[in-house]
Amino acid sequence: MEQFFQVLLSGLATGSIYALAAIGFTLIWQAAQTVNFAQGEFVMLPAFFLLAGMHFLGMPFWMALIFGLLLAVFVLGFLFKRVLVDPLLKHGGLSLIIATMALAILMKESVKEFYSAEAQPFPEIVPNGSWDISGVIVSLTDISHLFISAVIVIGLQLFLNRTRTGRCMQATAQNPGVAEILGVNVKRMVLYTFLINGVLAALASFLITPVYLAKFSNGEYLGLIAFIAAIVGGFNQIRGALAGGLLIGVLDNMTATYITAEYRQAVPLLLLIAVILFRPQGLLGTSEGREA
Amino acid sequence: MLEIKDLYGGYGKITILNGVNCEIHTGAITTVIGPNGAGKSTVFKAIFGLLNVHSGAINFQGKNLVGMSPAQIIAEGVTYVPQGRNVVPQLSVYHNLELGGITAKDQSMVKRRIDEVMEIFPALREHQDRKAIDLSGGQQKQLEIARALLLDPKLMLIDEPSIGLSPNLVKEVFATLQRLRDNGVTVLMVEQNAKAALAMSDYGLVLELGQVRMHDKADVLLNDPRVGRLFLGGSMDEE
Repeated sequence: MEQFFQVLLSGLATGSIYALAAIGFTLIWQAAQTVNFAQGEFVMLPAFFLLAGMHFLGMPFWMALIFGLLLAVFVLGFLFKRVLVDPLLKHGGLSLIIATMALAILMKESVKEFYSAEAQPFPEIVPNGSWDISGVIVSLTDISHLFISAVIVIGLQLFLNRTRTGRCMQATAQNPGVAEILGVNVKRMVLYTFLINGVLAALASFLITPVYLAKFSNGEYLGLIAFIAAIVGGFNQIRGALAGGLLIGVLDNMTATYITAEYRQAVPLLLLIAVILFRPQGLLGTSEGREA
Repeated sequence: MLEIKDLYGGYGKITILNGVNCEIHTGAITTVIGPNGAGKSTVFKAIFGLLNVHSGAINFQGKNLVGMSPAQIIAEGVTYVPQGRNVVPQLSVYHNLELGGITAKDQSMVKRRIDEVMEIFPALREHQDRKAIDLSGGQQKQLEIARALLLDPKLMLIDEPSIGLSPNLVKEVFATLQRLRDNGVTVLMVEQNAKAALAMSDYGLVLELGQVRMHDKADVLLNDPRVGRLFLGGSMDEE
């Protein structure tokens, strides 16, 4: 039983990081009908920004962290939108989807070419160690990951629901035509969404990379997870992506512990197939889909 | 107050409006009728800055609206209720109303106005915390109209308000528009349900092939046999 709680907690902790990437994925889909197949690479790259800040620019860790975050917001938020999404979106979703796949390959190969093909050690951001709570060993790292992710998700929800700008972003996502005729600055709201995705990807990157080490190929699995989490939860809503991310994290850890570690990567795919077969609208989704 | 002069425009290179000329009566309800594809909704989009205007002018209170953004046109006192469903589905009724005043600098004024429009539409006050998607079709239309009134507009463009509403609700919406007119708002409406719309309007305007063919008192149009032919799907020119 003690082991079960430990596995559950660490599954939730990893899942909460997956959820950050999945939420960003969902936001981008809502705001710009962009299915970002480079989302995994978006989570892979900021870790290398941070490492580059430390090793090439000689920054101390915390400064490199801020540098990595800002650079991620600029490159993965602003540049991504301006250079790739804006010109391609008017040619339809399919061109853009293919372009994001190409971008994923470009980012992956560039890191391999210009940084290293070897996995790089990455500093742990949160405290190590553990607490013993009546026999259950609670990892401080897990608790910190869960706490930080929760703060980010709650903060994001508060921003979207409690501020006028947040509600304008929701209006833009849910009914862009109406947002426009009410005088909402639709373009700016879409840009904000891309910037927020940059922040989410960078934070997920800084939290997850110490677990996996920084490697150019990290995005392959993470992108798949973000995609599956978003679909499993119900493609167009934040709480769906959150639930999907947490569920995959827990299932993944449970499988590795109680069944076999060899097939753990197959679990999200099995989950995806099951959801598509039996509940295609997603666990929290409604079948009516997007509003026109 | 609203005068459209030699207006040409359309989507991309396709021209829909072929020289629209008219002067809309202030403080009255004018219904725009005409066959499908005549350019009725397109005129509204042109007035509201959503269309590629090739040439011509839309003068509203002495200012040419052509080239202005929707936000600027709202600031001039124009408001637009497009056809179909126009609520933000997952936001509350209250926050939908708030969006109607999103371009205003003075948000305390917006709060006061939300309160005032909820006086006019008591059902909205009752449901102010519910998501807009959970309202009935008629209540959603009320919400759209209320939201369009938030900044105390002088001109309201309303496109096909009767679509999807039961006859009773249509009467209610029409009565609402008449109340607005009595309070000094100029209403320009497109309606498929032409007879009922003309019957409650002050003026009517027939649009065909992107041009104004007739513009007269509503009862004159109602009794004009050429207009009758138009309703039956014919052209005004047939003998």
